[in-house]
Amino acid sequence: MKKILLACSSGMSTSLLVTKMKEYAQSIGEEAEIWAVGQDKAKEDMRKADAVLIGPQMSFLKSELQKEADQYNIQVEVIDMMAYGMADGKKAYEQALSLMVNQ
Amino acid sequence: MEQMKITNLTDEQISFQLILHSGNARSCIIQSLRAYKEGKKDEADALIAKAEQDLSAAHDIHFQMIQKESGGEATAFSLLLMHAEDHLMSTLSMKELVKEMLDLFKTKNI
Repeated sequence: MKKILLACSSGMSTSLLVTKMKEYAQSIGEEAEIWAVGQDKAKEDMRKADAVLIGPQMSFLKSELQKEADQYNIQVEVIDMMAYGMADGKKAYEQALSLMVNQ
Repeated sequence: MEQMKITNLTDEQISFQLILHSGNARSCIIQSLRAYKEGKKDEADALIAKAEQDLSAAHDIHFQMIQKESGGEATAFSLLLMHAEDHLMSTLSMKELVKEMLDLFKTKNI
């Protein structure tokens, strides 16, 4: 089971992306737990995740979040601009998987 | 920045484009203040300029939406669109304020 956490300032736009990522994961028969939180809850929830994707409005917090994520040996990355701007669930899902390769 | 034509986008993607550009700008604005705090004044200015480019891209999308609406084809209203508008407007205020602050710091030599 792949666990992917998405975070943006309020967790709203990423919630929609989560729905699309889940649909894609399902369509290729992969089991994945994907959820979205607001920025305040990101640090708390990342302990349960295998990879963390953050919204563009939070990119300035990336290094701070990565420091926290290092404890759990996971990666934090800003959602690819094309994937986010086009609300592309497939691209975002593939990006999340690419963060797990070293695990 | 490459111009995005909203005619090729769904309503949902239009909102995401607005949030994307406002969000990029928001991050640049905060990084700009942080850069200034570290004494990197040129970098602070460059980051504000970058934020302005993203805001201009967001504005451009917004302008196309208004044009589309006045042409009788309104973008469907949704909570997501309202959220996107909120992102854009708050980032615009933030940019104006931070720009003034940097200017103030410079004149006061801090």
